[in-house]
Amino acid sequence: MLSVLRHYGSVAACYLRLTFQQQLEYPLFLVSWMLMIPIQYFAGIYLLKVIIDHFRHLNGWTYPDLVFIFGLGLLSHGLMVVFFINSWMIGRMVIDGTFDRLLLRPMNVFFQLIASYFNFIGLIDLIPGIIIFLYACSLVGFEWTLPNILKLVLILAGAVLIRAALFVMIGSIAFWTKKNAAVHNFALVILERTTMYPLNLYPYLIQALFTFVIPIGFISFYPASAFLDRDRFVLPFDLAILTPVIGLVFYGLSQLIFNWGLRKYESAGT
Amino acid sequence: MAIIEVEHVVKDYITVVKKPGIHAALKSLLFPEKKTVRAVDDISFTIEPGEIIGYIGPNGAGKSTMIKMLSGILHPTSGEIRVCGISPQQNRKAVVQNLGVVFGQRTQLYWDLQLRESFELLRRIYRVDAKTFRENMEMLQDILGLEDFIGRPVRQLSLGQRMRGDLAAAMLHSPSILFLDEPTIGLDAEAKHAIRNFIREINKARKVTVILTTHDLDDIEKLCSRVIVVNRGKIVEDGPIGAIVNKLTPMRLLEIELKEPASVRPHPAAEIVRHDGLHVSYRFDKNRISASDLIADLSKQLPIRDLSVKDPTIEDALREIYKEKELVSRGA
Repeated sequence: MLSVLRHYGSVAACYLRLTFQQQLEYPLFLVSWMLMIPIQYFAGIYLLKVIIDHFRHLNGWTYPDLVFIFGLGLLSHGLMVVFFINSWMIGRMVIDGTFDRLLLRPMNVFFQLIASYFNFIGLIDLIPGIIIFLYACSLVGFEWTLPNILKLVLILAGAVLIRAALFVMIGSIAFWTKKNAAVHNFALVILERTTMYPLNLYPYLIQALFTFVIPIGFISFYPASAFLDRDRFVLPFDLAILTPVIGLVFYGLSQLIFNWGLRKYESAGT
Repeated sequence: MAIIEVEHVVKDYITVVKKPGIHAALKSLLFPEKKTVRAVDDISFTIEPGEIIGYIGPNGAGKSTMIKMLSGILHPTSGEIRVCGISPQQNRKAVVQNLGVVFGQRTQLYWDLQLRESFELLRRIYRVDAKTFRENMEMLQDILGLEDFIGRPVRQLSLGQRMRGDLAAAMLHSPSILFLDEPTIGLDAEAKHAIRNFIREINKARKVTVILTTHDLDDIEKLCSRVIVVNRGKIVEDGPIGAIVNKLTPMRLLEIELKEPASVRPHPAAEIVRHDGLHVSYRFDKNRISASDLIADLSKQLPIRDLSVKDPTIEDALREIYKEKELVSRGA
């Protein structure tokens, strides 16, 4: 058991070093991301400001509330993009045949897929996320107590797992269809729209969908509502604390689907 | 004991039949018409340790499918495969630990990094201990001459250097079996020579069993003790290279360029295999008629500007085998 852990740890460390070197090979590419991503996010926050200036509040949510939801969502997005970006590549790897190489090596296939690309560029995603979240914290008067920090860490871990699971499931579609780009792009848009605005703006059916079927609501909306303690939106249970649990369950489900797809891939071929 | 055993292996692909036209496309979307394509059709063979096998056949004959099944990427529809006594379907990790695989058209090396970085990753993936790694590197450096380019990013390597890098990568963990899918494709003569030399060396020094698919007759003549020829998913020939080459070598190709258009007639001892414009090709059996006799006969009836006599290519050779087999099965 220990030797297995050491084996996987040593390979992961090597992957980490190689992907770091690999991404440094193209410094200008890095710079272009550094310029683009902050602009995208700060434009997002400006949009929230414009909306609030016009309507004063959105269904009872004020500007500080909205920035808090937005910031919380960006943090888990940034972390997901750092650690799980290769779940976006399954479709491409199946088509160009690079996926076969993972099957030719004596290690777990999912581990190789995820560990083989640690996305340093994703850290750039994370920086504006942190700035916006800290700004939101000062706006809403977030209390940095130990229980709150602990809760925040658990919620972020759960939210990253929910996002990762969603993309692993979408990636696994490629094992059947070979092409999953349309679903993938659709999911990206949905995630942005639902983690940036309060979920209870949407019709009831959509709220139910993003709570019980695809638990996107637990990424930023429910936890933020719990933190902000809004009495105008009372949760049936203390749903916020469910984020890590739901993250684990949804992630487990994505592993089942991935392995099911992998068996399908092995029996069908390309 | 056999190192690879393949028993009655069948591989079916299910594809959707596409017909031209929008109407047909819509119909196929709603009611897909599925068709089963049999890529590998009841193939059985065994391979002994230390053999070098040429697994050859035309494009689409099911060669890559077989390599993928032997290495555990694909599972057969039915039949049994055992590699070193283990089923790659049931215990993929145990089988691939003992396997080196090179796809000539794809690389497993990190494109942007120095060659040695990819080796370091593979050393960890296959858990090669320091001593074995050093010994293997020395041997591979020796045969493949890696020292000239091991410190260069892979994207800057020539195709031949990259292929040598890929072969080294496949051998780092001392596998006892090596699968090579078109290892010499697109290479110049010198690089081909280096790669054939490598295959011979590791086979001799380490008793590595090699299965290679190729379209290059030279590869087969210089390397393979045994050839398995497949066509349409079935084995059509399985035997020592000498027997198969003997069968093929009597055939020669005479290519003629005419001065002006002329009526071209077949020769009693030679068959016309191509005729377009001013170019005519005759195929003949050198045991039935000598090249000089044939040329003398033909020059009486044809205005010849230029001519050359050629050995059959592997594709010609294979076509010969397939044709013969079809005749046999039709006659039987």
